[in-house]
Amino acid sequence: MEENSGASESDASPTDPSDPDHFLSREPVGARSVVVGPSAPCSFPADRTRTEATSRRLDRSQLFCLGLILTGLVTLAPESFALAEGAGLDHVRSSGKLRYGSDMEGGGPYAYPDPKSPRDVTGFEVELMAMLAKDLGAAPEFCQGQWEMLLQLLDLGQSDIVVNGYEWTPPRARAYLATRPYYVYQLQLMVPRGSPIHTWDDLKQPRPGGGRWTVGVLAGSAADTFTALEGGKNVRAIQFSGSTDAMTAVQNGQYDATLQDVPAARFYLDRFPGLELAGPPESHGYYVIYTRANDRALRDALDQGLARLIARGDLRRLYEKYGIWSEAQRELEKLTGPPEVISGRQAEGGWTLVSRYWSSLVEAACVTIALSLCSMPLAMLLGLVIAIGRIYGPIPVRAVLTGYVELIRGTPLMLQLFVLFYLLKLNPWVAGIGGLAINYSAYEAEIYRAGLQAIPQGQMEAALALGMSRWMALRRVLIPQAVRIVIPPVTNDFIALFKDTSVCSVITLIELTKEYSILANGTGGATEFALAASFLYMMMSLPLSWFSRWSERRLGTLGVKGGAVA
Amino acid sequence: MSMIEVNDLVKWHGSIEVLKGVNLSVRRGEVATIIGPSGSGKSTLLRCLNGLETFQGGCVTIDGLRVGAHDGAVERARVQRQVCLRVGMVFQSFNLFPHRTVLRNVIEGPVYVLGIHPEQAAERARRLLARVGMSERLDALPRQLSGGQQQRVAIARAMAMEPQVILFDEPTSALDPRMTTEVLAVMTDLAGDGLTMVVVTHAMHFARRVSQTVHVFGEGRIIESGPPAQIFEDPSQEATRTLLSEGLAA
Repeated sequence: MEENSGASESDASPTDPSDPDHFLSREPVGARSVVVGPSAPCSFPADRTRTEATSRRLDRSQLFCLGLILTGLVTLAPESFALAEGAGLDHVRSSGKLRYGSDMEGGGPYAYPDPKSPRDVTGFEVELMAMLAKDLGAAPEFCQGQWEMLLQLLDLGQSDIVVNGYEWTPPRARAYLATRPYYVYQLQLMVPRGSPIHTWDDLKQPRPGGGRWTVGVLAGSAADTFTALEGGKNVRAIQFSGSTDAMTAVQNGQYDATLQDVPAARFYLDRFPGLELAGPPESHGYYVIYTRANDRALRDALDQGLARLIARGDLRRLYEKYGIWSEAQRELEKLTGPPEVISGRQAEGGWTLVSRYWSSLVEAACVTIALSLCSMPLAMLLGLVIAIGRIYGPIPVRAVLTGYVELIRGTPLMLQLFVLFYLLKLNPWVAGIGGLAINYSAYEAEIYRAGLQAIPQGQMEAALALGMSRWMALRRVLIPQAVRIVIPPVTNDFIALFKDTSVCSVITLIELTKEYSILANGTGGATEFALAASFLYMMMSLPLSWFSRWSERRLGTLGVKGGAVA
Repeated sequence: MSMIEVNDLVKWHGSIEVLKGVNLSVRRGEVATIIGPSGSGKSTLLRCLNGLETFQGGCVTIDGLRVGAHDGAVERARVQRQVCLRVGMVFQSFNLFPHRTVLRNVIEGPVYVLGIHPEQAAERARRLLARVGMSERLDALPRQLSGGQQQRVAIARAMAMEPQVILFDEPTSALDPRMTTEVLAVMTDLAGDGLTMVVVTHAMHFARRVSQTVHVFGEGRIIESGPPAQIFEDPSQEATRTLLSEGLAA
């Protein structure tokens, strides 16, 4: 299967969309999406939320929860969530507002905060929507949403349309209605100044100095797919959450090149003075506006509006203003409707999809497990050292450690990961495991400190009176007792860390939550993928809660075997 | 030759002078009791002997090992560890290790501090526990025992280190009369062994019948010392008389 190449090329990093800076092609065009087709319209609206909620619970309630979700999904067919037939255009007309879903986070030049008045949004899509809305006799209304969630917001009726560099893809086109293309995008290679790479073809040569060429891409985007399909043996895709993140890392010298949609590459080029464009643009595809599947009237009205803008040359003037006009855009005049959905192929059901992508999900689950299992023991060890230092250390040591705990607790994990990855330029796995371990060590330290201080003073005295050193007293007497106290809160933190591994997707480690949203977003099988991901999360968290209960039982005050601990 | 020699011991708790120049001498094999009103510093003195408390003036010599108030921290810690190996302690609140069984509590020190083989340590622990009447409860956890039983285990735990001195810090104050009797019986039994014992207590009949010397403590210093007959029959100090009349009334 072609899609496997995507996964295998990219070193345990599935793909991801949620991100800041992806205004680019953010959809798998080839591999992941072409082959697939959802049978039912769209997705169950809130399934991502549900996945996470499920993964949070432990104990028996998990099975119960899954049961609930299953029942809920069976009884409440997705159709019952769909809005009334054709409500879209009526709603636009009656409310006088055209609500379009978009994401301004890192979204230049598509939709981004206006530099002149940062509380407003600007961008070529914003201006395009102003023109189209006027055409419909309505005012445009920008609806901010996380990029990969935009179609689900559309399903929920939170917006009337989605326009945010969404590429035309067959699975999308089966679940939603697409307008005629409003932009022909291409992919542009960006490299550090003075790089030996001058064109895409240079990447086909073996990399001098060994290894493979590393190419940063926006996870789940057309660039991601293109790299996987066209990159060949010598290229490894590094999947980023945001386009500018990839540019930063390449400018830092962490990777060889980045492949970006042309508008983004041009828009950000002058902000990354260490980068230059390499070779002519590659590939091409279409940005379209999506409406709900039953809003044909709204789609047709938008098509007519686009036709007029193209015929009058307004669209060309707009693109020239943003410096993103190219000869390739002449194709827009000829593409009067959405590209035809490839016929003759039976649309695949969601479960076929899940089985097709199962290995990607499992691979992502392995990333989750690896991150959790490597970082938690480190965090626990580091936390213990910090706690002991804070209680028994000399005053300067105590002060330093208190500062450490306050600093680490007081700053977000994501920023810590950014520092480790982009500033210290560590390998993503080192940065991810290290970041999680450092972050959680501060919390563990406080738990241990509380646990140790809960042990009566007499215990330390009795141990010292027996001739033990302080260290031995801690090891043989205090810590074993404190462990019993801290098992529940530490287990709690382990579960929290388990879920926090998803933050590592910002430094190119794509784990289960991210992989789920990429697949759900790219293929349309949101419901089925939600269930599959929930299932995997549960398979991972159940052993954790079993272990926790087992250790509570084993180390509980009763039935303790003397040497069991420490 | 004296086993314990305390010279001009001064101890401050913040701005309060707890010990105001204590002098004390305990012979090898002697059973000495320290009596005195609550809060007079008896327990603090005891804790200074085995290093659980530091002090600001004077020195303590145990079995020839001298710890002075002005010794360097490293030197003091080194000597203190050696002192701890010769001195056992029994606490008012027992302080058994709650996560270990009776037997494990007793072999913990010998195995991990002295490095004795666990089998051998267990063998000796069983003998000691038999002596304090706890043979039946080797596998019990401390919380499953009465206070008197816990204190007897604590005595066995201290004995297991084969110390030359055992310090008893109000060993029966947390116990009811019946349990007090059983613990004092064990202590009386040990007293015949040639072990040096320093006992801070309110149990006057123990002081009177078992100890060779009674030290009366008050206001951070020793007021008077002497054999029990002298102290109890013919105290020279007014404070002693007051204490005894209160103590005997209680």
